[in-house]
Amino acid sequence: MTKVAIRYAPIGLIVILWELSSRTGLVSQDVLPAFSDVMVRLWQLSADGEMLVHVSASLFRITCGLALGIVVGSTLGFLLAASITAQRLVQPTLTFLYPLPKSALIPVIIIWLGFGNSAQIMVIFLGSLLPIVLGAYNGAKGVENTLIWSARSLGANAIETEWHVIIRAALPDLLAGIRVALALSFVLLISSEMVGAQRGMGFLVAFLGDGGDYAGMFAGAFVISAIGFAADRAYLALYHHLLRYREA
Amino acid sequence: MTKTKIKFENVEFTYIPPNGKPVRALERLSLDVSENEFVSIVGPSGCGKSTLLYLLGGFLPLEQGEITVDGRKVSKPGPDRGIVFQHFALFPWKTVRQNVLYGLERKTMDSAQRNELAQKYIDLVKLTGFEDAWPAQLSGGMKQRVAIARTLVTDPDVLLMDEPFGALDAQTRGILQEELLAIWGLTRKTVLFVTHDVHEAVLLSDRVIVMSARPGRIKTTVNIDLPRPRNSEVTRSQNFAGYCDEIWSLVREEALVASGVKA
Amino acid sequence: MVAQRKIMNILMGAILPLVVIALWEFATRERLVSPFLLPPFSRVMVRLWDDIVSGELFSLAGQTFLRLAISYSIAVVIGVTLGIMMARVRFVRWLLDPVISIGLPTPKIAFLPIFILWFGVFDTPKIVMAIVACIFPLIAGTWSGTQGVDKYMVWSAQNLGATRRELLLHVVFPAALPQILTAMQVALPIAFIVVIVTEMLSGGNGLGGAMIEGARLADTARVFENLIVIGLMGFVFLRGLQIVRRRILGWHPEVLQEKN
Repeated sequence: MTKVAIRYAPIGLIVILWELSSRTGLVSQDVLPAFSDVMVRLWQLSADGEMLVHVSASLFRITCGLALGIVVGSTLGFLLAASITAQRLVQPTLTFLYPLPKSALIPVIIIWLGFGNSAQIMVIFLGSLLPIVLGAYNGAKGVENTLIWSARSLGANAIETEWHVIIRAALPDLLAGIRVALALSFVLLISSEMVGAQRGMGFLVAFLGDGGDYAGMFAGAFVISAIGFAADRAYLALYHHLLRYREA
Repeated sequence: MTKTKIKFENVEFTYIPPNGKPVRALERLSLDVSENEFVSIVGPSGCGKSTLLYLLGGFLPLEQGEITVDGRKVSKPGPDRGIVFQHFALFPWKTVRQNVLYGLERKTMDSAQRNELAQKYIDLVKLTGFEDAWPAQLSGGMKQRVAIARTLVTDPDVLLMDEPFGALDAQTRGILQEELLAIWGLTRKTVLFVTHDVHEAVLLSDRVIVMSARPGRIKTTVNIDLPRPRNSEVTRSQNFAGYCDEIWSLVREEALVASGVKA
Repeated sequence: MVAQRKIMNILMGAILPLVVIALWEFATRERLVSPFLLPPFSRVMVRLWDDIVSGELFSLAGQTFLRLAISYSIAVVIGVTLGIMMARVRFVRWLLDPVISIGLPTPKIAFLPIFILWFGVFDTPKIVMAIVACIFPLIAGTWSGTQGVDKYMVWSAQNLGATRRELLLHVVFPAALPQILTAMQVALPIAFIVVIVTEMLSGGNGLGGAMIEGARLADTARVFENLIVIGLMGFVFLRGLQIVRRRILGWHPEVLQEKN
């Protein structure tokens, strides 16, 4: 227990420094609202349900976008790994699309789909696709031939082999790709909400900032960070659980 | 009267793992190695034989006891006690030649002399022609030759070898053992050689030290009275087999103790 | 034989984009898709050409490029330095470990409004935001690479007489370089995404700003034109980094294998 305390102590230090420099006026309260004020505002926003509205809107969008991305992305990735022709057709295009910052798609998608949920979900979906396709592809390609041959010699047909052997063996790479997609999805979610949305955490933070409610703005930023952090940690737990057969 | 080159006096070492209880690795170990002697250390796994080498090399801090080379106390690593590791430890971003040159950079000589000296040792370990190769392009045996050349080129007072052929396949091991015998015949350095391969120890050494199970002490010393210069032919002699049997049964006793089996 | 295969690969790779462009042009020309939503490919190209000739594109791309270059360079210098310090100085590690651990998976873009509050709306918040966003993987990757240096290599270097400083320069840094370069390759797209987003949100033109303006004014051609430029820019940068990596790591098994 004390080990955890020691490890995260610097965070406590930062908070204390923050509170002090703000309260004593060392840094103007307009620019840096006191930590305690931020916490109060956080409580207020949560209590009156405002926060919940936006959090649920954001979570809904990212869940849909990411889920779609996982389903489509892994299917595409596995299909690609199975066909050399498909690889040669698609690889250069993917190599070109990979470095394109998916946030650049936001204006196009806003023109096509407006400002609602579908636009946000589409951005997240498109952004999460590539890391997942890559993960599935690398994972499936990397499956050792000996594994596949063993399954075949034990009587598995092509579909069974695909499911039991290839997808299972590809899991680590695929899961790693999904983790990258998760982080990317959060960035895209917040970005697209800030640019063009009427609800959601990204919208909220920008809105509060524009309205001068700086403590609220900080509070919103924290909630977003906390959710992103928690999501990653939760995913890590899932990741380790699914791969628990692998030695530590 | 041969001079004592290396002296271990009442050396003790306790290893403290990050999570867990401290482990006594070496207990009151004393050992003398004479000049130009080739001494092997064998023993069960975990008996501390590598620890002994690392203490002599100055890589681990010595808290109890004293280690001297030519009468000077050992504290920090240095080129006077050249070391060769089991997994080669070559610098992968340097070519063969650059690796061998590394130890010479600190010596006062002009670059022509350095290159000449490096080339001499590259030729000695039979890697002529591979001077500009990257370590990633070499086989295990070749990498170890580079490591040996790299260490020998600085002309160390003593040579420490930590299971140097342990990571190689049996054939390569045999070849390198013979080459080491030949090289040693030329340079006659004082060598402290750690191995778990009894056969190898008897083939190469003047003396074989058998260590006990942890905490490590010296169980017995066996003098190898086989003629020099040697090559692999000597393995066919009666005496050779006798030494191997003797040392192997000693090691086996300790290995059983180490694994907790009642002898 | 090898040349023949290469040409085949290029041809096959070009099929998909060509088909897409052909469909694009066909669909818009035949009014299957409203030209408002999707301007004809040819029109986008014309627009692109106009903007190149007028110098407009150069100025926009230059702004984006500068912001990216500045933020990325600063992030690399600070990030790699901090990463190495984390591996070697206990205090620094204690101080930064929780920050990295919490900061890495956190969507740092959430702090953009705060940075705008602090730094205004011109270049500074964009650069600061990009630095903050991409520095975490740089620190983490450098730390990991520096820490993981094989101890026997370090011991060998010490054995051959290396001083502390030489150890750091000759052994630790080259040994950590593969992972540092990987971290740099991860950080570049992040910095680029963030620069584009900040341009969209806080004015100041640049390619992102031009795109969002195009969206607001229903000038779809402008949006697509800049999108293509952004795509090219990203591709060139990442490819550039890959080439740099291959040259610096010429000794690495991964590069040697590629050559075979």
